[in-house]
Amino acid sequence: MSDSKNKITNTAGYRRFLLVACSILLVFILSACRDSGGVYIQKLKNQHYVLMVDGRPYIVKGVCYNPVSIGSNHEYDWWGDPNKPWITDGKLMKKMGVNTVRLYQAHEHPEEVKQVISDLYKLYGIRTLLGDWLGFWEYPCPFYGDKKFQDKVASQVKEMVRLYKDEPGILGWILGNENNYSCLGHVNPWSSPEVDLEPDPQKQKAMRAKIYYSFVNDLSQQIHKIDSKHPVGLGNGELVGLDSANKFCQDVDFVACIIYRGKTFGNLFKSLRMTFDKPLLMAEFGADCYDAYLKKEDQHMQAFFLQSQWNQIYENLASSKIGEGNCIGGTVFEWTDEWWKHTQDDPESWKIQDTQSSWSNGSYYYDIRAEDNKNMNEEWFGIVAQSPQLENGINKRVPRKAYYVIREFWKNPVIKKTKGKKVK
Amino acid sequence: MKKLLAVLLALTLLAPVMALAEDKAAGPKEFVIFSDKNAKDNHYIPSGWMGDYGDIKMNDQAADAPHAGTTSIQFIYSGKKSQTQGWAGAYWQNPANNWGNKKGGFDLTGMTKLTFWARGAKGGEVIQKVMVGGIKGTYPDSLVVEMGPIELTDTWKQYTVNLVGKDLSYVNGAFGWTTTADLNPNGATFYMDDIKFEADPNLKPESKKQQAMPFYIYADRSSVVNHFIPSGWMGDYGDIKYDGSSKEDAYLGDTCVKVVYSGKATQGARWAGIFWQNPANNWGSVDAGFDLSLATKLTFWARGAVGGERIEEFKVGGIMGEFSDSDSATIGPVLLNKEWTQYTIDLKGKDMSYILGGFAWSTNVDNNPEGATFYLDEIKFE
Repeated sequence: MSDSKNKITNTAGYRRFLLVACSILLVFILSACRDSGGVYIQKLKNQHYVLMVDGRPYIVKGVCYNPVSIGSNHEYDWWGDPNKPWITDGKLMKKMGVNTVRLYQAHEHPEEVKQVISDLYKLYGIRTLLGDWLGFWEYPCPFYGDKKFQDKVASQVKEMVRLYKDEPGILGWILGNENNYSCLGHVNPWSSPEVDLEPDPQKQKAMRAKIYYSFVNDLSQQIHKIDSKHPVGLGNGELVGLDSANKFCQDVDFVACIIYRGKTFGNLFKSLRMTFDKPLLMAEFGADCYDAYLKKEDQHMQAFFLQSQWNQIYENLASSKIGEGNCIGGTVFEWTDEWWKHTQDDPESWKIQDTQSSWSNGSYYYDIRAEDNKNMNEEWFGIVAQSPQLENGINKRVPRKAYYVIREFWKNPVIKKTKGKKVK
Repeated sequence: MKKLLAVLLALTLLAPVMALAEDKAAGPKEFVIFSDKNAKDNHYIPSGWMGDYGDIKMNDQAADAPHAGTTSIQFIYSGKKSQTQGWAGAYWQNPANNWGNKKGGFDLTGMTKLTFWARGAKGGEVIQKVMVGGIKGTYPDSLVVEMGPIELTDTWKQYTVNLVGKDLSYVNGAFGWTTTADLNPNGATFYMDDIKFEADPNLKPESKKQQAMPFYIYADRSSVVNHFIPSGWMGDYGDIKYDGSSKEDAYLGDTCVKVVYSGKATQGARWAGIFWQNPANNWGSVDAGFDLSLATKLTFWARGAVGGERIEEFKVGGIMGEFSDSDSATIGPVLLNKEWTQYTIDLKGKDMSYILGGFAWSTNVDNNPEGATFYLDEIKFE
């Protein structure tokens, strides 16, 4: 027995065995290191993108979260609410299958932010995509061409990353939301001395887009220096301006698009491939549940649109054989209704869920025959309604049909082509 | 007993015959045009060079990163217009150089699609169109199906030409491509691989016919080539006066479109515009429109009555409803000149397969406080 052992240990075969074993061990250790190395996006050989979390593929099954209570407006400090609405919501989210929340901006008190992120993750396994508005709502407008403005925003963003990057529940960062529309002058228009010198308004647009996307690119580079373990996303309204992003914003890891196209996202996924080939997070999409034409709540309508939208998201995941493979999931807008949105300057109206529509979108065609074609009801986008009745110290949560429909879809995501009829 | 034996005997004899018949009925599942250099299952020859054939160089054994196997076909198109045509292309034929003057080809009945893989050397190369069939002559192909334009990426991508419902009983020009110097001003190098017909029983016929180019929206008043109706008046529609037969210095032909926008904000929107729709007033509620996949741009001529009128947006597509446009493209804001000027909306890379809203303009009172009068002519997809 000892002879044979000697033979083995002294042969070239044994040395080869040792070498192979060590190599396998090394690969395993490296792999384990990478696996525990946080969140990253992998490009597969077939050009599909997959989000990896702790070494495993991760589909973002998320909601946009801003739980403003009835009677409050956006200034309500839910982070500091002693009743901790996220505890109640997190429990309900977990039952539904939500694994991610999108928060648009961190609160001013870091300890409260950490508490929310930590509670959601430790209690319910829900991760957080944390964003920054990039000064979009600064008065009088976001001067993206101004160095001081840029420095101020950059400082704020870097501080956010430093504060929360080590929170285990952090999934990634989203820079901006629909800020790109300001380059077109559609909302919060801004300019700079060099833009003002250009007489051609089309060229002005292109110049503003270059300035804005270059700035976001710089931010992304700076974040990567501070935090290599979480991806950085570019918030963007529709695909508008992404041809410029393709030139000036290549250092973001994914695009977080805000899309309201009704039943279908159309050629969105393919179009993104053509213009700015980055992984896509559907960062904001959804449907309201108020029929502005029949003037009554219609949960079937909302559920129909949301099911169709999630269906398309799944069609275009990396694992799908029929789509573009560039989608990493979505965060539906939104978790709860917000009753302050329609008449924002009247505190009395925050106590009432307004039924007036504020804008028109033909893609949500069931109620497009409403007066002036205004069919989008800002205060009715929640997949969970809020009741004036209190429960656990907060407005009682009442899941809508969409909550259950999406829950069942996530449990058994059978991808099928949606027909033009509402689910009943 | 005898009867039983006879039945069993008959069944024994018939079974293999029926199985063979079934096999024959099922037919082959694919028919290869090109898979690899000298592959036994190649059936056609890329011999039919067209247009500026001097601009084409072909390497049918390109070994750098084929899609599958060991080789792909590399085409280098210089775009130098060697034969002053401005375009070039190549057909795979059987036998070689058969422009319909001799009997050849194959009966490919049962095949429902043609698939091929392609990539550009850099990405961004544009193939104007690919064709299946279409060779005429004494022995013409039994079908012609075109698809395009295609903007290539720098990675292999599979493309499919739907042939469901087409007559494939005689196919000599199995596959071809064309492109132009305009689409590729600096030339184009691209690769093709694994070109084949396939029988896919689950494939459904294409719903719409690809429209030939140019495809007019407005040529002249009542012209038979006009498509789409300027029915979608938006915003302050009361501020708009539309004349589709203005004879005030038309750019081409007898008439042009004249629009007078008063800027009075009649409906309180402070902006206005018109969408050309198919059918009239279709905001996405009717499954209609056109397949304009062959369009690479929309062009139109415009002028302002005094010059300096600002149009916020000129647009193609973008109607969203139960049936939505497959894509959209815009230009603007545009400051109009007093003289006729041609404008172009680039559609390369856009999905124009389903277009209900052919063209639109919009403007607003903030940029035209005194209103605006402007003219449009020769609005067309090319």
